[in-house]
Amino acid sequence: MSRVDLRRALRDVAVIGALLSVGVLAVFVRARNLDATAASVRHARAAAIAVAAGDAPVVATAAAGVVGPPRQSPRHDFLRRRTVMTATGPRPLGGPTAPAVDKLLYDAAGRFDRDGAFAGLLSDGTGRAVAAVATPRGPAIAITAAAEPRAPLPWLAVLGLIGVTLVVAGAGASLGGRARGVGVGLGLAAWALPATAWGGWPLGLAVAAVAAAAGWAHAVGATDRVGASVRAHRVALSFLGPAGVAMIVLVVVPFAVGLALGFYDHHHGTWTFVGLDNFRRILSGDGHGLSDPLNFWFILGVTLAWTFVNVVLHVGIGTLLALALRQRWLKAKGLWRVLLIVPWAVPNYITALIWKGMFAGEYGAVNSILAGLGLDRVSWFSSWATAFSANVTTNTWLGFPFMMVVALGALESIPRELEEAAEVDGATAWQRFREITLPHLRPALGPAIVLGSIWTFNMFNVIELVSGGKPGGSTDILVTDAYRWAFERGEQYGMAAALGTLIFLLLLGWTLIGRALTRGDEEARP
Amino acid sequence: MSARRPRLAVALGVHVGLAAATLAALYPVMLVVKKAFEPGRQFALSASPVPHHLTLDHFRDLLGARGSHGELAFLHHTLASLIVAIATTVIGIALSCTAAYALSRFRFPGRKAALTSFLVVQMFPASLLMIPLYVLLHALGLLNSLTGLILVYSTTAIPFCVWTLKGYFDSLPRELFEAARVDGAGPLRIFWTIVLPLARPGIAVTGLFSFMTAWNEYILASTFLTDEGKYTLPVMLKSSVGQFSADWGLFAAGALITSLPVMALFYVLQKYLVGGLTAGAVKG
Repeated sequence: MSRVDLRRALRDVAVIGALLSVGVLAVFVRARNLDATAASVRHARAAAIAVAAGDAPVVATAAAGVVGPPRQSPRHDFLRRRTVMTATGPRPLGGPTAPAVDKLLYDAAGRFDRDGAFAGLLSDGTGRAVAAVATPRGPAIAITAAAEPRAPLPWLAVLGLIGVTLVVAGAGASLGGRARGVGVGLGLAAWALPATAWGGWPLGLAVAAVAAAAGWAHAVGATDRVGASVRAHRVALSFLGPAGVAMIVLVVVPFAVGLALGFYDHHHGTWTFVGLDNFRRILSGDGHGLSDPLNFWFILGVTLAWTFVNVVLHVGIGTLLALALRQRWLKAKGLWRVLLIVPWAVPNYITALIWKGMFAGEYGAVNSILAGLGLDRVSWFSSWATAFSANVTTNTWLGFPFMMVVALGALESIPRELEEAAEVDGATAWQRFREITLPHLRPALGPAIVLGSIWTFNMFNVIELVSGGKPGGSTDILVTDAYRWAFERGEQYGMAAALGTLIFLLLLGWTLIGRALTRGDEEARP
Repeated sequence: MSARRPRLAVALGVHVGLAAATLAALYPVMLVVKKAFEPGRQFALSASPVPHHLTLDHFRDLLGARGSHGELAFLHHTLASLIVAIATTVIGIALSCTAAYALSRFRFPGRKAALTSFLVVQMFPASLLMIPLYVLLHALGLLNSLTGLILVYSTTAIPFCVWTLKGYFDSLPRELFEAARVDGAGPLRIFWTIVLPLARPGIAVTGLFSFMTAWNEYILASTFLTDEGKYTLPVMLKSSVGQFSADWGLFAAGALITSLPVMALFYVLQKYLVGGLTAGAVKG
């Protein structure tokens, strides 16, 4: 037995085992929470059934009683009042001195009226549950008092597993030869047991597969090579480490979760796997015609038009202003420049709100100007074309200074002698622009256009704060539509995530195309 | 195009164009300034950017408004914004200094992949990660908390800081580090005693940009904070011009106080911004 073999085997089971154990423990926590949830819901339902039968509930409840039908409030005809019959007698729900739990009772009664009997977790994150069952007098509703206690982590079992892993891997290493890889594989495979117990057999199989792969990698020396490479670059990797870990936790994990959520349907706090159904719904238009603002292809069309029009205006206005500012005889260039980039300096949510105020109502600033010019006042957010123009105006205002500054930087790189020589040679202004100015502008504007188009494609604030998608969602772009799936259409996170995946693919494709295009420019650089 | 006097028509055209663009650029800002000092809740009943009467009422109302617990609301929200922006900046800078240095000075397997992924994450906005982050923070009980918002902001702050600082480290002379290494200084020592002091201006600029971004962010804050008591300034300002009760005077006063400092900062720093942004897009 060689000590080197033993050390390598222990190193590999330690690294891969640590990763596996994190996953297995996460599965344990999930299984435990599901158990607690199920118990909570079970207790709520039992309590509701007891209340319905006129008995006192066995479990501790925060509130329990039969809620009467809604009656119109005598003072405010839009209010519906309900009373609850509790063990201590009837009392009205709500009111200035009512306990906070009244709102939960009221909402549960409303949900019962809509969906019938139900039992589920409260969505306030406290782990408490609510249940409603029917009685002749109205729904009997019970809300549990506290979350169910959760089982402690089985530390002894975990420590035992770690021991088994190390011993088996060590034994394999001491036998040498083929046994080394087998030892590592078998030692890690021990983690398949708890994975199966807590997460079901597919997870157990997955862990076993990882263990087998690890054993094989150990046997053929792949882990040694990775280890050697890590050692050789340990300074760089440890410098990169903190940010790398943070990015994995904050970006890679949420991103992977987002990809996965796209395959699930979310309804009242429960997730159901639906395969590609969300994508099918989105791409098929979900029963909406092509001219319907809720159809994906309509929104995509609006998004592309929005991006294209804005970028063209940004680049056009920005370049024109940059050309004007470059005139040698122009006085006070610095002052012009400072004033012209004011829109860039204003935080863009403030810009959006200002313009919304300027477009809003019959007497907004824009309409006042129109009236002053003898034109008709326009109701900006009641038709697609005007609402879209309002959004574009706002976004053009905030976006042109960036392109102007980029273009100015590029123009500064043109040698004066070149232009003067061209002038002496009798080139017309148009020839000079085409042959000298444009080739200098393109390499700088190319990447700026790619960047600017991505910003515009995702310009959430302007759409949301200026038109808000009005009228009827027709000025929504893809990112605001994804937002509405999640937060304005009954928490359909699955649809929102699927749309997010499509947006990501679109942006990725566009970035690759953009890079190919700008690379071509760099090669053509004079 | 030359030093000779231009033709009159050209000179006139350029000046008229510039003046029109400048007027368009300044007009909305002038309207807000006017509204901040003019009485009334309506935004603009006339197109003129000059106020009829001057008043400081909006500022007094804004600074004196009390929240539901009797606290000074504006101060309270300013504090929330400051906490979030400073914490995001500190996290971004602290984690990215060493990473940017590693990416700038060392060659190792996976370097290109790391650079590309930092760039992609920085270019693609946090709104793409919004849904999964919302679901995850909900599961962790971190919705409606400043801690959760700081984590969300860090998703873009870290890659931004890494890229900007890497650009700065690239510009430091390589000979310096070689000399220190020849003198026997270890990598950590070189980083701590040579690189960091030299990079102080770059770190300051990067940190200020990171601060400004967090300070000016609206949509994530409005999604992740649901309790009015936790609102950051942008969410509070937006809610002051909500659908049912719009007080544009309050908004204008708040907008001025909130954005003047960051606008001043922007003017000081903007020459660094353009280089950093487009460098990222080109070099990727």
